[in-house]
Amino acid sequence: MSVAALGAMIVHLKKFRKYVLPALAATLLLWGASTISRVDLGAFLAGIPRGITLFGHMLPPQWEDFPGLIGPALETVQIAFVGTVLGAALAFLIGLLAAGNLSPHRAVRELARGALTAERALPDLIIILFFVAIVGLGAFPGVMAVAVCSIGMLGKLFADAFEEVDPKPLEAMAAVGATKAQIIRYAVLPQVFPSLIANTLYRFDVNIRMSIFLGVVGAGGIGFHLVMSMRLLQYREAMASILVILVLVVLCEKLSDAFRRRILGQEVLR
Amino acid sequence: MNDIVLLEAGRRKAGQRYRRYYERYLWSGGFLALLFGWSMVDLGISARLFIEGIPHFLVLLAEMFPPNWQALTGGKVLWSILETLSMAFLGTFLGAIISFVLGILAAGNVTPSRAVREAARTLMAVERAVPTLVIILLLLVVVGLGPFGGMLALAIGSVGMLGKLFAEAIENVDPKPLESLESAGATKMQIIRYSVLPQVVPSFIANALYQFDINLRAALFLGVVGGGGVGFNLHMAMSLFRYADALAITVVILVMILLAEKTADYLRRKIIGQEVLQ
Repeated sequence: MSVAALGAMIVHLKKFRKYVLPALAATLLLWGASTISRVDLGAFLAGIPRGITLFGHMLPPQWEDFPGLIGPALETVQIAFVGTVLGAALAFLIGLLAAGNLSPHRAVRELARGALTAERALPDLIIILFFVAIVGLGAFPGVMAVAVCSIGMLGKLFADAFEEVDPKPLEAMAAVGATKAQIIRYAVLPQVFPSLIANTLYRFDVNIRMSIFLGVVGAGGIGFHLVMSMRLLQYREAMASILVILVLVVLCEKLSDAFRRRILGQEVLR
Repeated sequence: MNDIVLLEAGRRKAGQRYRRYYERYLWSGGFLALLFGWSMVDLGISARLFIEGIPHFLVLLAEMFPPNWQALTGGKVLWSILETLSMAFLGTFLGAIISFVLGILAAGNVTPSRAVREAARTLMAVERAVPTLVIILLLLVVVGLGPFGGMLALAIGSVGMLGKLFAEAIENVDPKPLESLESAGATKMQIIRYSVLPQVVPSFIANALYQFDINLRAALFLGVVGGGGVGFNLHMAMSLFRYADALAITVVILVMILLAEKTADYLRRKIIGQEVLQ
């Protein structure tokens, strides 16, 4: 065999390893996953006319339901709001402990960071079901679940923000004998306030969606109404709930946008 | 003398600025505090509920330990885990394909026309506003209960975010290669293939892998409403007060999530590393 042929074979082998093997693996993976998820093109095609029929059954929405849906919609917003505030407050405290420049001790910092990471790794569903099991049904487990689920993400972002502050004001205050609380209040907080607010508002948008889902596991609110009317095949009522949910989500997003611009705009102008 | 006057003026100015700044915060803060208090009262949340919850919490913990590993025998839970992984994987895959097309249509610099761009943008904005719960409930009626409906819900749920990020990435590409290809007479497809995609595919893959992490968690929720997967097993165990079973399932879910995240991380590093080196 000539050297050229050998070289060509090696090139082929390389191409085989680079393109053919990954393609084979991807095909196998897709095939396996499709089988396990019971992907069914027939069901999909049959679903198209069924979807159109469903849509027909949903229209017009049950307009008479709207006054009765305002209460649950408000409850959903309240759960998200109270949960976000409580979660942000806890995240603030844990964030202080987890920030290297403010933490009382290295061990405390590592512990706080570890707790935040563990919370982020824990799926929200587990936390929600856990709180429903502890306190039973109602708004309280919902608020607790929203608060705890927010801590991991917010605490990490807060701690990172604390660590990135300009250290000079802190040193100056420490040099004139300020207490830790005074340093945090007058040197750290003014620097991180915009990012704390922006992150909390972003989390509020996430929590509104979570709060809607909470209705499914019994924490009340508009999600409960939607699931109930779907289960009872009351599609026009379901459509009313869906419309209220859409208005709710868009309205809350606009509201938090307005807040963000108002508060952050000031900071930027300052 | 002059210095003192200047100092006084400066101090007064700083004081004014300080007051203005705090008055504004006072209004926003007061409004939020009022809203918070009213919500707490309206929802019936009080410190008493917290205190009453503590013994319940301890009882629950005592019932969870030790985890009942027997709940995992028979392979039901492990099959559900596979189902959840498959749903998340296929949902992300399908969602990425749709986002890829929509993203190209929605990017101002490569879109076939303004109208198409607006249509694609609106479609994605609407999708982002619709909560996944609504999507899955409708899909379960349309294609029936089970993982297939869940997979489709995840695919649709991925499109809004992935498509938007992809469109933004395309709009931010360096325009010079596009212009030089165009002046050399390349077709639109050739321009996209040879000057746009090489710039944006790494970030697209990174975002898709990130979306896989999100979808895996979302897939857990789908099980609760009938979309298949291990979320159903967990919800059932909790509803039937089989807390020791629930803990065993929780441990398996955590292992699944950690492994999936590590795999996604590994792929991200591998694929993006290659692209950057090329």
